[in-house]
This record gives sequence, structure tokens and C-alpha cells, in this order.
Amino acid sequence: MKLLEINHLKKSFGELSVLKDISMHVEEGEVVAIIGPSGSGKSTLLRCATLLETMDEGSMYYDGKVVAADESGKTVYVGKKELQERKSMFGLVFQNFNLFPHYTVLKNITDAPIHVQKRDKEEVYQTARELLKKVGLETKEDSYPCQLSGGQQQRVAIARALAMKPRMLFFDEPTSALDPEITAGILKVMRQLAEEKMTMIIVTHEIAFAKNVADRVIFMDGGVIVEEGAPADVIDHPKNERTRNFLQKMEK
Amino acid sequence: MKQSNKVIALLLMLSLMAGLLIGCGKNDQNEDLSDKTTFTMGFDASFPPYGYQDENNEYVGFDIDLAQEVANRNGWTLVKQPIDWDSKDMELNSGTIDCIWNGFTINGREDNYTWSKAYVDNSQVVIVKSESDIYELEDLKGKVVVVQTDSSALAAFTGEDATEENKNLCAEFQDLQQVSDYNNAFMNLEAGSVDAICMDVGVANYQLEQRGSQFRMLDSNVSSEQYGIGFKQGNTALRDQVQVTLDEMLADGTFAEIAEKWGLTDSVCLGEEGTDQAYKKDASEAEKVTFWNRFADTVKQLPAGMLATLLIFVLTIVFSMPLGLLLCMIRMSRSAILRGIAKVYISIMRGTPLMLQLLVVFFGPYYLFKIPVSSTYRFYAVIIGFSLNYAAYFAEIYRSGIESIPVGQHEAASVLGYSKVQTFWKVIFPQMAKRVLPPVTNEVITLVKDTSLAFALAYTEMFTQAKQIAAAQASIMPLFIAGLFYYIFNFLVAFVMDKLEKKMQYYR
Ligand SMILES: Nc1ncnc2c1ncn2[C@@H]1O[C@H](COP(=O)(O)OP(=O)(O)OP(=O)(O)O)[C@@H](O)[C@H]1O
Ligand SMILES: [Mg+2]
Repeated sequence: MKLLEINHLKKSFGELSVLKDISMHVEEGEVVAIIGPSGSGKSTLLRCATLLETMDEGSMYYDGKVVAADESGKTVYVGKKELQERKSMFGLVFQNFNLFPHYTVLKNITDAPIHVQKRDKEEVYQTARELLKKVGLETKEDSYPCQLSGGQQQRVAIARALAMKPRMLFFDEPTSALDPEITAGILKVMRQLAEEKMTMIIVTHEIAFAKNVADRVIFMDGGVIVEEGAPADVIDHPKNERTRNFLQKMEK
Repeated sequence: MKQSNKVIALLLMLSLMAGLLIGCGKNDQNEDLSDKTTFTMGFDASFPPYGYQDENNEYVGFDIDLAQEVANRNGWTLVKQPIDWDSKDMELNSGTIDCIWNGFTINGREDNYTWSKAYVDNSQVVIVKSESDIYELEDLKGKVVVVQTDSSALAAFTGEDATEENKNLCAEFQDLQQVSDYNNAFMNLEAGSVDAICMDVGVANYQLEQRGSQFRMLDSNVSSEQYGIGFKQGNTALRDQVQVTLDEMLADGTFAEIAEKWGLTDSVCLGEEGTDQAYKKDASEAEKVTFWNRFADTVKQLPAGMLATLLIFVLTIVFSMPLGLLLCMIRMSRSAILRGIAKVYISIMRGTPLMLQLLVVFFGPYYLFKIPVSSTYRFYAVIIGFSLNYAAYFAEIYRSGIESIPVGQHEAASVLGYSKVQTFWKVIFPQMAKRVLPPVTNEVITLVKDTSLAFALAYTEMFTQAKQIAAAQASIMPLFIAGLFYYIFNFLVAFVMDKLEKKMQYYR
């Protein structure tokens, strides 16, 4: 079952063509790692998938349902109401967390489920507390984001995304704003999610982690997918010259 | 500022004022005339035919010609100093002018100045629109009458020496309003916001001649009175010198010549019997008004003005803050046309004087659309004008606040599925409010001081009231008390905003 399917996606910013004909898909329960040099368009791809950017050309489906269709070379999105519905299928964890600074940890997690999804308050609070426990922050529910360390904030952000009960989670370099010794905590949480068969699309520079956790690795460069496949193939035995170069640089 | 610093500032301010107030006591002194080279006459430059600005921007008039002649004969250079009528006593007492020479009514002010002999006999008359249904003084009952601030017309109705008849008549007016100059009074009359103007007959004749048949004068007078030249109390040396020269001019016919030139032959009275009562009054006889009497008077009269100031302040805040938010949203909307309109509006409101905007709001309906404005509209016009102006400033402050919020906040909200409205009120607005608090505080403090601009529409808020009391008392103390009130008011505003800011410190 394909949870996400993108066909022939093209995206430019003015004259700058950032994504050039990208096609990819993600199966339910699959963990996909996207790696590649800076400026290769990884974030842009994720932002198109999470509807923060609009695609210029190409089509996109969530769980087989159309989100954006290609009509003679131009992308046409479905209506506002359907988009809103589709949005509840995924969550996104940002590089710099983007928690709401004026809300407590608990309110950050519960506000959208209560006011956007209109779920039962009690159920939402219970879910939120379970999630906080899962990310190891059960004592911090009344703190404000500014009172937490970067690593703690990122774990709250993951809990916030999970509280929406999404079917897939996107991560855009979730650890690169953090000190290396704090990274481990985040990666542990993500590894646990992978074990629970959460569908995840992770943009990362942690090659070892990608190799460890991902079912599939996508290597991007210059706005195209250069190579993709099982970590054992792409990371340990890259076929492409550019992939080899990139991995060599990362090892240093 | 730290709390303790503020208290120290307040104490400093208070002691400074106390010092000034005590310094405001009597300081009678005679001038030494032997080395006098200039003679400075203070006058209200909008008071034809006595003193006004002609089409060449020269100050001309009956009083100016008289003063010129007096100066010439004494070998002085005449300095024509136009003054704000409300500040005439401050000008005189501080020595920036030598005398007030400007169709200056003696009656009711006998004790406040050292006077020349009366030289013009004047009466207070009533001007109405030609088509008005007012013919007798009686008909003024239930009408709105306007007079100039601290004019003899005002004194004729409300002064201590006002006749019982006039006091009773005045009690039956719908309202007796004050404006700072006659031009303003005629604009009000024309626009329909007042029904009648009460003013000096000489000025009235001149104005009727200038303005044509739109207006007419009632047959009966409100009062009769005399004009003299007012000198600083105790300055008899200068007064005597000027009087001697005037008497010479009367004897050789120059005085009559000048009177004829200005069409005042019927009004002049120099040398006639009974014109030297105020002149003969010895300055030392003048009833001593103590500091505390004045203080008590001020404290009794100012609160009404304070209330008006507070009302302008509160209503302006209540209307302009939400209006500013609306304007800010239009300014940031997706439609280029709406954005353009908001941009032009904001640039006009911020680029022109607030006083001018108030005048446009008040007189605009009449001069643009011929809709007569009622006198109750005065207050609404003040609130509308202030709110429209401050909304523009608040809109720009809000906009910069909104734009300073990281784009990640919008993105996080979007991914969580918040609608546009939810995103604004839940995520953006609370963070914006915290960010804009310091610039909003600045604006609010400016507003406290700006309320005094309501005088442009003759709406009597505290500062106007203080100026009126100051004029009546010939003292600057009321102005200092008003200043103190503004300071305390702003002190409280700053205190409240400070508390609010602290309250929002729970997050960064
Ligand atoms: N909103 C935008 N406007 C213009 N150019 C953009 C915009 N967003 C991204 N770009 C450009 O698109 C290219 C790809 O950017 P993107 O952020 O997708 O790269 P990335 O692979 O995520 O890099 P990194 O590893 O540094 O995060 C870059 O050259 C960037 O400058
Ligand atoms: Mg990126």
C-alpha cells in the first residue's frame, strides 16, 4: 500500500530550478532516509510533500487519494476542504522545532488535536501524557519551551506531531541544530518509532543512523534522485560516482 | 526606568514646580525709560481693524498705527509682536512685550493691569446668520453662542461684573462655547455648529463688511465697554510716558486722523469724561489675590477638563487599537488594491498634522458636502479624528510585530492543520502583542499629551481649560498644575504598561 506517491515533481524558485523531475513513493510502515549534499533540494522536496510549498509540475497522492494532479504540465491541487483532510494524514518535525513559545509543553501538544481535530479533551490529554512519557519528558508538561534544552524541545515537537495520530511522519534534519551528545536521545525515540512500524521519511546527515534504521535510502543531488535502494546497497556499495564522493566527504 | 528612579523623577518634578509656583508671586517694578530703545506691543493678529495681517503679510490696524506714532514720537523702534491671546499675561509678566495694545477691554480687568486712559468705547453685539430666526437677545434662549476665549463678550456673560440680565440670559443658552479666534467662530457659525457669535462691535462691523450679506447683527447690545492699553502691573513709568504722548496726539489731531482712517471715529473716546477711572487706580490698591486663592480656583475648575482629557484618551484607545488591527490586516491582505488603499491612508494620516485632520473631520461635512454640523458633533469629531489618526500608527506597529514573528511559526501551524483564523488568533496575535508592547507604550504616552490638540475644535479638555483659567487669573500656575497632571497620568500609564510587560515575561 503506497502511503505517499509523487510523480514527476518539478519546482523552481524564479530562474532557479530546484527539483527536476522527482518521482518517489513510500510504502506503509516503511522508513525512508533522504541524504544528499547541501542545496540538493531535500528540504524543498519535503516542503512540497507537506504542502508548505506548491509544486509547479507533477502529481501527488496520499494513501491513493489525489492531492495534486498534473493537468497538461501544470499541477492542480484539490479543494481547500480536501487538503485540510489530507493534512491530518502526516506530521512534520522541523530542524528548529518551531514549538509555540507562549504555550506550555502540554498545550503545545494538545491544542491542535482538540481545536483542529475536535477530539475529546480527556482522551487527548491522556494521549499527550503517554507521549510525553514515551519521549522521557513526563515531568515537563507545565514548562514553557524556553525552559527546555534543544533536545528536550525537539522531543516535545515529536510528541506534538504524534499527538495528531498521523499515518506518516516527516523529519527535516531533526538533529542538526543540536549538539552531538544530545542527538542520541532524539535518534533513540525515532528508532523506537521505526520498531513500532511508523511510516517515516527522514532527511538526515546521520549516515550511520540512516543505515541502521532506514528500509530504503534515497540519495539526491542537484534536484534529482541519483540513486536509491536498500542501505546496504546505497551506503555500503554505491554505484554512482556522485554518491561515492558524497559518502567519502561525510566520513571525514 | 527602574521604579525607584521614577519616584525620584516625580519628586524632582514636584519640587521644581513648587519652586516655580512660589517664584510666580508679585514682582512689581517700574521700568527705567532713559535707555529704552524699543517698544514692543503685544497683540492678537486676528483682530481687525485693531490689529491684523493684511494681504502683504504686514501687521496693520488702528492700534498698530497709534503705537507706531507713539513710538516715533518717543524715539523708540516699534516691535509688533503677535501673541497667542491665551498667553498674553505670561508674555507681559515675563517682559517679552511692553504692553497689550489690541482693543483690550478694561472692564472687569481693572485690577489686573496698569491701564492707560480708555481710548475706544465699545459694545458687545451679537452676529447671526442672515436667515436665522434670532432677532432679539431673548431669541438666544436654547441656542449655542460662541465667544472668544477671555474676550469681553465672555466676561459680559460670565464675568464677576456681568449684569444679572446677561447672567440669566446666558443660563438659558444651550451652550456658551469658546474659540481661540474669530475666524474659527465664523467658520463654526457658517457650518451651523453654533447659532450666534457675541463680539466687539468694531470687529463685528469690520467682519460684516468683509464677509458680505451672509450674516447680520442684532439691534440690541449685550453690553458696553471701553478699550485701553494694558501694562504690567506697577509699570506706571512706561504707562505715563505713553499716555502723555497719546494726549499730545489727541491735542494736535493726529489721533482723530488715525481713527478716521480706520472708520472708528464713532467709537473713539479718548479725553471724554469718565474714561480715566482705571487709569487713576493706584496699583497698590489692587486687591491682592493670594496664591492659595488662585490655587483653590484652579483645583475647583480643572477637574472638568481632566475628565474630558481622560475621556478622549480612553475612547481613542478603545477605538483606535482594534481599528489599527483591522487596518493592519488590510495593509497585509492579498489584494493589491486593498493593500494600496491602506498604504495611502496610513501615509496620509502619518504625514499630515493631527490638528489639520481634526479640522477636516469637524468642518469637512459642511465644507465638502454642505451638511450642517451640530455642536454636539464637536466631541464626536475629536474622538473620530484621534481614532483615525492613532489607528494608522498602531497598524504600522502591529505590522512590524507580525512580520518579526519567525515564518516557522506559520509553518508549524499550517502542518498542524490550523485554519488561517486560528493561526492568527492562537499563534500570531499573542506573540505579536508581546513584541509590540514597547512601541505601543510610546504611542499611548504620546496620546496622553496629544489630547490637548482637541482645542483645535474648541473642545475644552484640560489643557485648554488650564489656559482659560490662566488667562482669567493672569497667572501661569494653572498651566503647571496641568503639566503635573499630564506627568502623573503618564507615570501611571508607564507603570501599568511596565506591569503588563512583566506579566508577559513568562516566555521568550
Ligand atoms: N523559498 C526559496 N526561495 C528561493 N530559493 C530557495 C527557497 N528555498 C530554497 N531555495 C533554494 O533551493 C535550493 C535547495 O534548497 P533546499 O533547502 O531544498 O536544500 P537542502 O537539500 O535542504 O539543503 P540543506 O542540506 O542545506 O538543508 C537552494 O539553492 C536554496 O537556496
Ligand atoms: Mg534542508
